[in-house]
Amino acid sequence: MSRKPSGLRAWLWQRLTAVYLALFLVTTAAALWLHPVTGFADWQARLAGPWTGAAAGLFGLALALHAWVGMRDVILDYVHRLWLRVLLLAAVAAVLAGSLFWMLAALLPAGLTGGS
Amino acid sequence: MKFSIQRFNPETDARPYMQDYELADDRLRDDMMLLDALLLLKAQDESLSFRRSCGEGVCGSDGMNINGRNGLACITPLARLARPVVLRPLPGLPVIRDLVVDMAPFYRQYRDIEPYLINGEPVPEVERLQSPAQRAELDGLYECILCACCTTFCPSFWWNPDRFLGPAALLQAWRFLADNRDLATERRLDHLEGPYRLFRCHSIMNCVEVCPKGLNPTRAIGRIKELMLKQSL
Repeated sequence: MSRKPSGLRAWLWQRLTAVYLALFLVTTAAALWLHPVTGFADWQARLAGPWTGAAAGLFGLALALHAWVGMRDVILDYVHRLWLRVLLLAAVAAVLAGSLFWMLAALLPAGLTGGS
Repeated sequence: MKFSIQRFNPETDARPYMQDYELADDRLRDDMMLLDALLLLKAQDESLSFRRSCGEGVCGSDGMNINGRNGLACITPLARLARPVVLRPLPGLPVIRDLVVDMAPFYRQYRDIEPYLINGEPVPEVERLQSPAQRAELDGLYECILCACCTTFCPSFWWNPDRFLGPAALLQAWRFLADNRDLATERRLDHLEGPYRLFRCHSIMNCVEVCPKGLNPTRAIGRIKELMLKQSL
């Protein structure tokens, strides 16, 4: 079956990322409740672990994807002028991509330095 | 009993306005439907326009916005309505006059989903029979009377009336996808793909809330998405 872009695919990504976001948030909340964070160094040490770092990075990616589909839906619903729609979509993409890179840039040094 | 009804005559009015009407209590009965009251008001003021036909919730002609919710006047008990009863035409469709709307955009969406069985196989000598289970798949779908109450109460339809097909047409799209005698599944799904025709539905469920036949277009739309996903894997 030939599939044109951005109908089914966007819908599917929104649901897949929602499942991951929910799992991550519940797991993280439980972990923080069982083992409360003692300070900045503790945060850094936890995120330096390969699994926690990867899980946090994936969370950022899933959040950006989920937000992109949601914001795209809002813009497609409400904004009907093409130039304004393109402008807003570009702005949303820039903000989300910038935020994601910022998050990854914060996570990577923690991993590289091994939390020290 | 007081009524406030939206009036609009394109030949004389620049914009719609609300007009108050009153029915004397001695003319009301406990078992009256809203349509009965409208017919009495029509006798008072012959210029008041609305559609009606069967009077039994079967033809779907008298869909209107009743106290902020879409419904059929003929099966809406008058006694249950808050007063004054505020009546407006179905939202989101062009108004022809008073409570009469132009249904052409709605029927255009219906035509768009090819609402008929598509089966290229040679015509058999007897009917194409279905098992009871296959027939049961159509329950909750074929009963739609195309009154447009659901589609015109759907915010996604208000936002993109020319591109989103709306709950009534999508319910019918699933009615034919679910029918084992129809062989155009790929073609139907391909037509529905894209960001607008099907995927503008955000499961707001206004359609389910107001359907006078108690149908569930949101569930049907979900089944289309599931089938589309299965077919694409």
